[in-house]
Amino acid sequence: MSDDPGRVRGALDRVAARLLDASVYERVGIAVGSTGLALLIGLVVVAAAGHNPLLFAQQLVVGSVGSTGAFTRTLRFTTLFILAGVAVAIAFRAGVFNIGVQGQLIVGGIACVLSILWLAPFVPNGTLGGVGLTLVGLLAAVVAGGLYAALPGVLKAYYGANEIITTIMLNFIAIGIVGWAVDGPLRPEDARSVRTEYLPEGVGLPSVVFSDPNFSILGLGLALGVVGVVAVGMTRTSFGYDMVTSGYQASAATFSGVDPQRTIVATMTLSGMVAGLVGAVFAIMVQGYFIDPSGIGTYGFDAIAVSLLAANNPVGVVPASLLFGALESSGSHVQIHSDVPVQLIDGIVGIVVLFVAAPELFRMLAKRTGLGGEKG
Amino acid sequence: MSLATGTSRRRLRLGGLALLAAVALAAVLVVRFDVPLERIFTVGFLNRTLMLASPIALAAVGGLYAEKSGVFNIGLEGFMIFGAITAAATLSLVGASSQLHVWLAIVAAVGVSLALTAGYAVLLIRYKADQIVAGLAVWFIGLGFAPFLASLLWGTVRSPGLASMNRYSVPYLAEVPVVGSILFNQSPLVVLTLVVVVAAWVVLYRTRYGYWIQAAGENPTALDTAGIDVNRVRYATVLFSGAMAGLGGAVLLAHAGTFIGTGDTMVDGRGWIAIVAYLFGNYNPIGAALAALLFGGLEGLQVQFQTVDIAVSGRLMGLLPYVGVIVVLTVWGKTRMPSSVGEPYESEE
Amino acid sequence: MTADAPPAVRLEGITKTFGDVVANDGVDFRLERESIHALLGENGSGKTTLMNVLYGLYDQDAGTIRVDGEPRSFDSPQDAMAAGIGMIHQHFQLVEPMTVLQNVVLGHEPVDGGLVDEDAAREEIEALCDRYGFDVDDHLETPVEELDLGTRQRVEIVKSLYRGADTLILDEPTAVLTPQEVDGLLDLLEELRASGRSLIFISHKLEEVLAAADRITVLRDGRAVDTVAAADTSRQELARMMVGREVSFDRPAREAIPGEPVLEAEELSVAGDRGLERVSEIDLTVREHEILGIAGVQGNGQTELIEALTGHRVPDAGRVRLRGDDVTDVGRRRRLEAGIAAIPEDRNAEGLVQEYDLVKNALLGNQTVPPYANDGWLDWSAVEAHAEEIIEEFDVHPPDPSATAGSLSGGNQQKFVVGREIGHDPDALIAAHPTRGVDVGSLEFIHDRLLELREEGLAIVLISSKLDELRALADRIVVMYEGTFIDEVDPTGTSDAELGLLMAGQRLDEGAERETNGRSNLEGTQSESDAEATVDRRTGGDGER
Repeated sequence: MSDDPGRVRGALDRVAARLLDASVYERVGIAVGSTGLALLIGLVVVAAAGHNPLLFAQQLVVGSVGSTGAFTRTLRFTTLFILAGVAVAIAFRAGVFNIGVQGQLIVGGIACVLSILWLAPFVPNGTLGGVGLTLVGLLAAVVAGGLYAALPGVLKAYYGANEIITTIMLNFIAIGIVGWAVDGPLRPEDARSVRTEYLPEGVGLPSVVFSDPNFSILGLGLALGVVGVVAVGMTRTSFGYDMVTSGYQASAATFSGVDPQRTIVATMTLSGMVAGLVGAVFAIMVQGYFIDPSGIGTYGFDAIAVSLLAANNPVGVVPASLLFGALESSGSHVQIHSDVPVQLIDGIVGIVVLFVAAPELFRMLAKRTGLGGEKG
Repeated sequence: MSLATGTSRRRLRLGGLALLAAVALAAVLVVRFDVPLERIFTVGFLNRTLMLASPIALAAVGGLYAEKSGVFNIGLEGFMIFGAITAAATLSLVGASSQLHVWLAIVAAVGVSLALTAGYAVLLIRYKADQIVAGLAVWFIGLGFAPFLASLLWGTVRSPGLASMNRYSVPYLAEVPVVGSILFNQSPLVVLTLVVVVAAWVVLYRTRYGYWIQAAGENPTALDTAGIDVNRVRYATVLFSGAMAGLGGAVLLAHAGTFIGTGDTMVDGRGWIAIVAYLFGNYNPIGAALAALLFGGLEGLQVQFQTVDIAVSGRLMGLLPYVGVIVVLTVWGKTRMPSSVGEPYESEE
Repeated sequence: MTADAPPAVRLEGITKTFGDVVANDGVDFRLERESIHALLGENGSGKTTLMNVLYGLYDQDAGTIRVDGEPRSFDSPQDAMAAGIGMIHQHFQLVEPMTVLQNVVLGHEPVDGGLVDEDAAREEIEALCDRYGFDVDDHLETPVEELDLGTRQRVEIVKSLYRGADTLILDEPTAVLTPQEVDGLLDLLEELRASGRSLIFISHKLEEVLAAADRITVLRDGRAVDTVAAADTSRQELARMMVGREVSFDRPAREAIPGEPVLEAEELSVAGDRGLERVSEIDLTVREHEILGIAGVQGNGQTELIEALTGHRVPDAGRVRLRGDDVTDVGRRRRLEAGIAAIPEDRNAEGLVQEYDLVKNALLGNQTVPPYANDGWLDWSAVEAHAEEIIEEFDVHPPDPSATAGSLSGGNQQKFVVGREIGHDPDALIAAHPTRGVDVGSLEFIHDRLLELREEGLAIVLISSKLDELRALADRIVVMYEGTFIDEVDPTGTSDAELGLLMAGQRLDEGAERETNGRSNLEGTQSESDAEATVDRRTGGDGER
């Protein structure tokens, strides 16, 4: 170290700054590249299936932002994806693979509906009662979702059971049991489809801005509020530091005094609480009752893609959710207005996840094409 | 034998205990609910169990090869879905329903799975993709594209009735009680599974390729310095795992005769169960097959309970294998995994 | 050895760089047939790099390799092996769950009818072992993971011989062995030389090199300083060549005398990861103004003992007390808050989050400690100030809090960790290998800080594999063997050989007789224990590729 320290320092600063920029650019680049490439593959599949890919692309745009109705629908799905994406991000950030958000949101949703239905007879009608019941429902969902996620957390922390597999199994179990209950003991006698009783009047989130009965700006606000709380919690609290550090390097976290078992359980519980909230918002804002969970959109799975696209950053989840909300919304449009089977969209989501898993692929592509060559 | 280490002996003992517990539970059921056990544990049940276990066992053998060599193929479920839809599509497209065509469909399913796995393997090994996320992606892609293809072909996510694999029957011998029905009146695919399982055991523990696979997962550098290309071994095992998962999916379809694309498709978690089966079997193909038999049996119980009119919802009974998986993982969760699983290997320079 | 026969290996002008770092700079090296040639140098001097070039793991940037007079270029270890060169790495290349036999034949399996012909392999290995007097064939069916390190090393050697190696490279072969096992290894090397093999022996330990080698090449900063005959040189000369200056390592004078007990363990028993008891009924007391040294061969329960003291592992039996308060059931976080600081064994995995910058790393362990955290809320400006303090006081380079931990050299990482761990006035410090892989400047700095802390009243438990470090710092040394303290000795009155016997599980009274009758290569070398102290000059183990 005989060099002039100031000069060395300056050079190091420049290198560090470039690295930081590169990694932020790189992340965004990978997210955009993955989505773009996956959509492109989707269009090729559409063409191969004998449909017009341009028409399909147009329908995607029309179906997501082409009208106020489409846009509200996009925001509705965005709301669900934000919450579900944050649920996934909490766990992934802490190095725990919670693949069970789908099951947790189902359990949260049914708990929300049941608690409201059970308490409704004891609560006065009118706005106050409605608001009270809504809050009770949200709370019940959070508790139920948290508990249902705590179980695989405990099994992982204290019994070494792989959480990927247990959470997937618990998804099947949640769908099975809730599905059985909704089709059996919970199904009203006059119901022609498989569903629970309707939630009482007054329970719900009022549509303040848009006139869509299935979307409320309050729901979106709630989702954004959760994003804010989680983002601050992760960066500004001891617990957040414990959690994120466990995700980066579990051995260092443990040495620093973090109890790894408790952190796993706490992480899973938190993640499940947010997942439960997804179910409640779905039940209260979108559906108004609960249906056979095998018919509920796979928000919990798509949220994995959302979170990965956002590099498991809760703030990044918002734009990623907007993208997936648009995709899901155009899916509803495609289903009605196109012969292309709507399942294609699920496939595209899968391809996005596949690409996100392989950043090296994009680094190679970037190098080959000369795009951002200096970064490589 | 050198392979019977202390842990595997302990596992056997625990397995025995689990069996005892199951017997005790059965006894409680008999006494408390007056369940006619002899009508539940029939030869038919055993046969059904074998058929239900076959797809799981095949995928499990594939998955354990990949993991033994250091690659966690979490995409088994996805490749099973691809296997099932390919077999169904092939049968539907050739439009004929002879047994030969069923075999053709199975071969096609294995071929397509191999091709897809090749791409997946390149992502995992060459581009060092995150094995967990990429494996999940394969599942999601299967969950999307299989029903998509079904809709294109049949206008709905469910196929019409397709040809299925018949049992072969050896005259006279099939008449022998119990054994005859199991050995001589059986689906050839069950026999195929048995052959695959035994062959996988022999290759893994008795041939040089098996040595290489084990070394690739435990200490890749040791294998590399012994002059064997680690990534080549891993490509081979990942391809094999995809092929076996595809075969498992095809077997599932060939036994069912209809493709179902609703919800989680007809594969319905069997790929995940396969992973647990080989963990439970301690990465031993024969152990994995026995574990698959256990899960197949749990699944088969559903039918048995219906036949004896026990008023338990079929949908709830159908959850038994999933509950079984969680119990197994909880009790046997701390498996000794190959030390280098999940780590991409690069030789120096 | 005929005069005109070409040397077994001849390296000419080998240069190898990694980025800006020149690991080998025009190195010449000549290995005569049927000789043992030591490659001596500090960690980071380029010994291992040179041998990796010879073994085909690295491509040299310049220079030629000749084997038996023929110019060769090796793209891979396989090429080197085909030319009869085998290498035994510091980290054994063995597949632990596989048996000895399977490991030896891996990649070269005899096949019969598609299956591995284990009988043929067994016969061949037994023949090899008979020839050289190896005991490896006693364990052919045993999984490697059940063998001790010395046996594993012999398995590695047999593996190389099985593959037809005429020239064997051993990279720091004694690092994992007890002094007595070292004797056995050196005998074996002589045996191999007598049977016509040529051997290269990488080491930084002077006494071993003098005892074992015919010729010695000293490397320093990637250059070959000189090659000398072992018979014509001395320890002092070798040390001077290695370091480039005279080295002394004195035990610093100490003033304060030990005071009240701070940290105590009573009949402590601890199980390891596999449920086996690794620490058996240990009693331990460290007082104010005292450094208690724990010596021992790695894997004799030190890790489990440390973890039970720091609060990372729940003991099976016994108590741990801090200033008389029972803290046995208290977890790491509360013990840390109560004043038990710890320097981790593995700073890369445990001490630092590699991807975090130094500010975030300064919080590690302080997540709940005011002023960095108040009621669960973090105060990042306080943390940043703390990071800058550590950097300043411990002279961490680069002096940049926003540098990621992973970008620092080993010595600077270690200084940062030490600075952080003693930053908030602990009562007791458990220092595990505090100077492992640290350059000599940082090493002296850390030693001085530890002694200062001792003067200030801290009670320190020092676990180290460097005997001279223990001797220089500790007030008392206990030797740990198979989970117990086999003996306690006075650092000033005990020789390396005596400590070595204790580390091998022999009490001094029973060992004394054996030592005088038996042969010991290390006899007479106890007075000077300079080698270990000077080894880690640059970035230590991390720098050596």
